[in-house]
Amino acid sequence: MALGNEEQSDAPSALLFPNRRGLLKVLGVGAAGAAGLGTAGSVGGQETTTTGQGNQGDRSVQGDYVVGDSTDAETLNFVQIADVPSANRVGLTLDGAYALTPPPNSEVFPLWCDISTEDSRTYTVEIREGLQWGGDYGRMTADDWVYMITEVFQAEDNWAGFANQSDWQRNGEFVPVEQTGELTFEIRLPEVDPAFPLKPIMWGEFCMPRGLLEKYVPDKDLEGLQQDEEVQTLAYSGNLGPYSFERWNREAEFVASRNDDYYMQNVENIPEEYNQSAWQGAPYFESWTYQVIPEESTRLSALQTGEITQTSIPENKVSQFEDDQDVNVNVAPQPFNSLLIYNQRANGWEPFRKTAVRKALSYAVDKRAVVENILRGFGSVAHTFQPEFSRWYDDSQVVETGVGDAYSSEEARSRLGEALGGTQYTYDGDTVVGPNGNQLTLKLVWPVGTETTRTTVEFIKQEYAKIGINVELEGVQFNTLLSKYAQNSYRGDGEPEYNAGPFNAGPRDEAFSEESWDMQYGIIFNTYPRTPSSTRSFWTRTSSTNYYGYVPEADMASLYDRASSATDEAQRQQLYARVFGILSEEQPCNFMNMGVDIDGFQDEVQGPQEVFDFGWNANTWYFQQE
Amino acid sequence: MYWYVARRLAWAFVATFIILTITFLLLEVTPDAQAAQLQFQAAQGGGSAEAAREAYETRRGLDAPLWERYSNYMINVFTLEWGWSDTRSQPVVEAILDAYPYSLMYGIPAVLISTVVGIAIGLYSATHQYTLADYAGTFVAFFGISIPNFWFGIILLLVFAVELGWVPVLFDPNVPVFSVANAKQLVLPVFVLTTAAIASEMRYARAEALEYVNAEFVKTAKAKGADGRRILTRHILRPALVPLSTILVGDLLGLILTTSYLVEVVFGIPGLGRLSLDAILNQDTALVLGTTFIPVLIAVIGNLLQDLAYTILDPRIDYGDR
Repeated sequence: MALGNEEQSDAPSALLFPNRRGLLKVLGVGAAGAAGLGTAGSVGGQETTTTGQGNQGDRSVQGDYVVGDSTDAETLNFVQIADVPSANRVGLTLDGAYALTPPPNSEVFPLWCDISTEDSRTYTVEIREGLQWGGDYGRMTADDWVYMITEVFQAEDNWAGFANQSDWQRNGEFVPVEQTGELTFEIRLPEVDPAFPLKPIMWGEFCMPRGLLEKYVPDKDLEGLQQDEEVQTLAYSGNLGPYSFERWNREAEFVASRNDDYYMQNVENIPEEYNQSAWQGAPYFESWTYQVIPEESTRLSALQTGEITQTSIPENKVSQFEDDQDVNVNVAPQPFNSLLIYNQRANGWEPFRKTAVRKALSYAVDKRAVVENILRGFGSVAHTFQPEFSRWYDDSQVVETGVGDAYSSEEARSRLGEALGGTQYTYDGDTVVGPNGNQLTLKLVWPVGTETTRTTVEFIKQEYAKIGINVELEGVQFNTLLSKYAQNSYRGDGEPEYNAGPFNAGPRDEAFSEESWDMQYGIIFNTYPRTPSSTRSFWTRTSSTNYYGYVPEADMASLYDRASSATDEAQRQQLYARVFGILSEEQPCNFMNMGVDIDGFQDEVQGPQEVFDFGWNANTWYFQQE
Repeated sequence: MYWYVARRLAWAFVATFIILTITFLLLEVTPDAQAAQLQFQAAQGGGSAEAAREAYETRRGLDAPLWERYSNYMINVFTLEWGWSDTRSQPVVEAILDAYPYSLMYGIPAVLISTVVGIAIGLYSATHQYTLADYAGTFVAFFGISIPNFWFGIILLLVFAVELGWVPVLFDPNVPVFSVANAKQLVLPVFVLTTAAIASEMRYARAEALEYVNAEFVKTAKAKGADGRRILTRHILRPALVPLSTILVGDLLGLILTTSYLVEVVFGIPGLGRLSLDAILNQDTALVLGTTFIPVLIAVIGNLLQDLAYTILDPRIDYGDR
């Protein structure tokens, strides 16, 4: 899987078929500098440059669509999928419950199902008529869904190794799910959650027929399910997806051919803005192939020669394609934030715990220079933990630092000098010195493997040198970064006050990582612009991802509580705007920049747009007729 | 002789057992990158990192005790039931059988060409020492050794596939083995591998042959009126082949395990090199053990065959009393 500091360059293809389960989560981690990082300021989320439009009249079924991917799928058993390539392949043959349209609207676009609620607590899922399983499994009913959720997803011992079981739990209890009709079932949440449909729980969820699962559920036969021929070949997919499984040559290609019986061809009442006629003839390619090409230069060569239709392009290779008449470069904003993280735990530099110190340091690094010179303009400066295209981003609340007048070594030095009052550190001339009189040295840890990350940390080192702080760079493997620097354990006496898991095993004085560190750059965090309540896992004292030991001055937990349960949209918006405003003020990290996704498409491809999540309607894309 | 072979085969069994055990233990102590990343993802999404790890272990069969997993794997290996590859979702044997043909498709031509051509150039260089042809041969050898295969492959693709369009960029696994299309797509990988292997073969052949070019028995043959070809093939090549045969097994393994990986990555060939390395990177234990077993077997059995070949190449060597 393309995670860690390895090739995130596959992210673009992952963004096709984004209605597939788990993508939001899977894409939430990675390393800065990976291909597809950064969003040029010019690539505003609101800009939508359409490379192809039109109704079905412009479309006809022709040609084979080939995506160049760096890694292959691991499995076609969606219950076990935890990687993007696998989800993409399954997604060709199974549509999933429903899709979401791109932000800022992020509306539910019903595929197999629609989801509705009256109280934001009990959600009714209504399954479409005419959905037919393959083989002898008949039609899809609520019974299939409820059986799968209760017997597989919510199985006590998780015998099937379901990757996202905690999605179906609240406060340690499984969420009740009950069939209410042949084609309807209810999900009864214990508390109000207006954002539930937008979370990757039912969104993009796949389903298996009960008859198939019943062969393995009674004996909890994991091996049987893994090796089942119908699961391995997606033979149960019937009319449920735009394509049908054709063949899978491991490490080479996954080929799916057009499904002539695709149920969406018969669906009516699709809102006009989503182009009903386009869906009625979908899909418009004879076949869709994921071709595994591990070497980036080979993928790019294949794009040049026209042997593949689409692949991701790293920012340093974009210029190569700008003059190529046969290739369109599509740059889409992303919600992934590359941040400079300060270690506020006991094995980090103690003054990081002071908001004034962190704020002073945010004046020291020229964020625009990073975006424009290192990311070659493919990214956007970030001031808080939310992209500007998000509806929860409010200019008036966000404090900007590290750009314009708010970038200044002198200002940073002056602010830092004041902020260090009361600590053991002070300025001696132009240099920050510690209690022993030596210049302060901070250790910046970063994941090796990408050139832009290396250049960025070297730039940060230079910027810190201007304010009299020496930075020692330490490159490590990504999994080492996670296991030895991010994961921490409780080292105090007795029981910890709280334990939020391996990345926040307790209060910052008693729980810290195996290796000491002061700063970190190169891990990308998902900012969840659709479901901002999910950002709670970063910014409260007891958050599960708070491995950096941030203790907010404001009462963030209470703000999150109020915001996530607010059913009034305006109130919710106001509360989240406040949350992200506070983050820009308190600077728990330097938010540095937001990434973009860069893809190259053959010129004749019509459909991709320069917006986040542009692949949600890839089934309506087509080749322009010559 | 038979007793010697029997003992060597018994040793092959023990050596394989030891190597597989070490491989298993190394995989055990290596931190699992995927598990760490899945836990981090779960934490980011507000889920339970611990539950994510447990689910991962269940999926990968890592929830059983160490001893149980070890004994299962060893029994599986030696009963040739190599289990299920979790990262490819197919039986290990099928994964290996799928990958082998692709490796052989470019491996066999590369080994044959590099051996024949390498030895031929080496012998020619030895018998024509310090001539223009010798210098040219030496240049070819050093070029092949010095140029990084990875880079060379990419450049060849850019020139012959992108610019000239003579060959495809992508390897198509669906074309018939014996077809023009397959030959076209294999030309570049075979060429890259050959240039690397030819160099070592040629340099070894030249060095070994030089030892015999002025040997007494060669002079005698010349004095007796033997022609050049006879001297080269019967009096120089034959004694030179004894040490040369030593490097053949090493070359074969090197080709399969190292060079081939790089070539397979560049040309997108789903062969054994990628299968082996990806298995290690993804810590797919069953697949690692399966893919380790074969090279170990080739090494151990190959060494035995090579020792036996000595007795044919040089009748003075005899294992009769061992």
